[in-house]
Amino acid sequence: MAPETTHAAAFSRQELMVIEAARQLRDGDVVFVGTGLPMLATTLAQRTHAPNVVMVIESGVIAPQVRPTPISVSDPKAMYRAMKLGTLREVLGCLLQRGLIDVGFVGGAQIDRYANINSTQIGPPGAMKRRLPGSGGANDMASHCRRLLIITHHEKRRFPERCDYVTSPGFLDGPGGRARVGLNPDFAVTVVTDLAVMENDPRTYALRIVRLMPGITVEDVHVETGFRPDVAPDLREVPPPDAEVLDRLRHDVDPGRVYLKSEDAVPTAGR
Amino acid sequence: MLVMPPNKVMTAAEAVTRFVRPGNVLGMGGQNIGRCPMALTHEIIRQRVGGLTVVGCNLSLSMDQLAAAGLIRRTECGTGNLERFGTTFCWRRGIENGTIEIEDYSHLAMVSRFLAGEMGLPFMPVRSLLGSDILWAPDGAPKPGKAVITENPWDPAERVVLVRALQPDVSIVHAQRADPLGNVIIEGFATHEPEMTRASRHVIVSCEELVSTDEIRAHPERTTIPFMYVHAVVVQRYGAFPTSTYAYYDYDGGQIGAYQDAARTGSPAIDEYLRRHVWECATFDDYLRQATDGDRLMALTKAMQELI
Repeated sequence: MAPETTHAAAFSRQELMVIEAARQLRDGDVVFVGTGLPMLATTLAQRTHAPNVVMVIESGVIAPQVRPTPISVSDPKAMYRAMKLGTLREVLGCLLQRGLIDVGFVGGAQIDRYANINSTQIGPPGAMKRRLPGSGGANDMASHCRRLLIITHHEKRRFPERCDYVTSPGFLDGPGGRARVGLNPDFAVTVVTDLAVMENDPRTYALRIVRLMPGITVEDVHVETGFRPDVAPDLREVPPPDAEVLDRLRHDVDPGRVYLKSEDAVPTAGR
Repeated sequence: MLVMPPNKVMTAAEAVTRFVRPGNVLGMGGQNIGRCPMALTHEIIRQRVGGLTVVGCNLSLSMDQLAAAGLIRRTECGTGNLERFGTTFCWRRGIENGTIEIEDYSHLAMVSRFLAGEMGLPFMPVRSLLGSDILWAPDGAPKPGKAVITENPWDPAERVVLVRALQPDVSIVHAQRADPLGNVIIEGFATHEPEMTRASRHVIVSCEELVSTDEIRAHPERTTIPFMYVHAVVVQRYGAFPTSTYAYYDYDGGQIGAYQDAARTGSPAIDEYLRRHVWECATFDDYLRQATDGDRLMALTKAMQELI
């Protein structure tokens, strides 16, 4: 059998997760991005379908051409050929709070049904069991971006019904939640995981499954989710990666596989 | 009347003895693995100045070493972590066992507190924090004084959060260059340091290179922090090691990892780390000689040069 020329023969679920997250970015988007998988996906988008994506990093970096593979917002690899190295206030205040950022892109901690994020502590206020790093710029991104993109490994403990502690606001308690506390209600969330893509239902604001990774069922997602997400009527499968995109990810974006793990390939037999 | 200040160049030991007092609110410069004021931090640990409230945006290696030495009573910050190198383990342990108090903010909220402080204002409005649990105290109870939600007087439909001004007793920052009067040049990213230093009652700056005041006057637009905010200038090559200094040297992952291994384990590994790398070293240069060598430092310098 002749090999397919447009689709790569073998790819891992994590690779497809990063590629699917990159697909969420539109050319010209101004993206406020943290290190790790968000930076990988944003760099991949720049090097494939969206060369005019502008990256902004909270340490004060505006429009860098990131070299592989930054491991920190203060890593000089994240500052390569930037147009401005400034201050935290310039990017978090004068760009983000000012409303000049299109997409906030974060890695996950705990994400609940209404896309609230917890990166502060496990256990509710007053009964902390494990201290986490804290908000950083995540609360600022969730407060001020009109679109929040989250990339995370899909496991039950990361997707509780309700976050122990709301570090960064999603839709809070559902319809009208953001407007009630004085946040901009013009807000949308996309969560890309290694099992599925979830977006907020435009009516209930709860996260629902809009796409499944190849070979994954709705039941598989439900097993690994602490709440029961609905399924969008036009549920589709995440398309496999284009061979060239996969090649860029592996050879240009994270060649040392700092963040890309060695994982089994997604079975494609019979496809 | 403005009198030109005297030469502020002194050793780290002198600067810490003069300006860092037990119980102080200490502003921490640097971010993650970039430009952490390690030489000044080591000196505070060496002199065991305790009961500190450490404030900043991201607090990382320098703060965690102060926590490891038991010198922190409280932190007010946006995050404690070292990203790829893991969390700030001693800080986390201190919070979890109740020896370190924590007041959480977002990074924008913290920098807004410094912004109020540097402009002589009592508070600053932000539009972050709304709807989040950061507004409340760690026990979940409403906490008057931390943040006040109010409406825009000109548009009552719009809500803002007022956060309190923060003026550290003393801030420590590592910069690329300074002159003897205390004019400071920060190259590359500057994080929250301009706001924090201008808000501080005292500022200690360590620098890679001492430059002349004539050189400052030749390029005044390059001055990040003018002399009136700065009280001590400590000349210390590789003063942020093992974190990086933009345009001078890259971070040393092996040395950061070695600290993290000890910090993750806790006592006695972490006590042994501090004994060996701080308390048994009379100066930061002694630590550099012990932890690294000229070839390694040259390699870090070269690695940085390739990236800029």
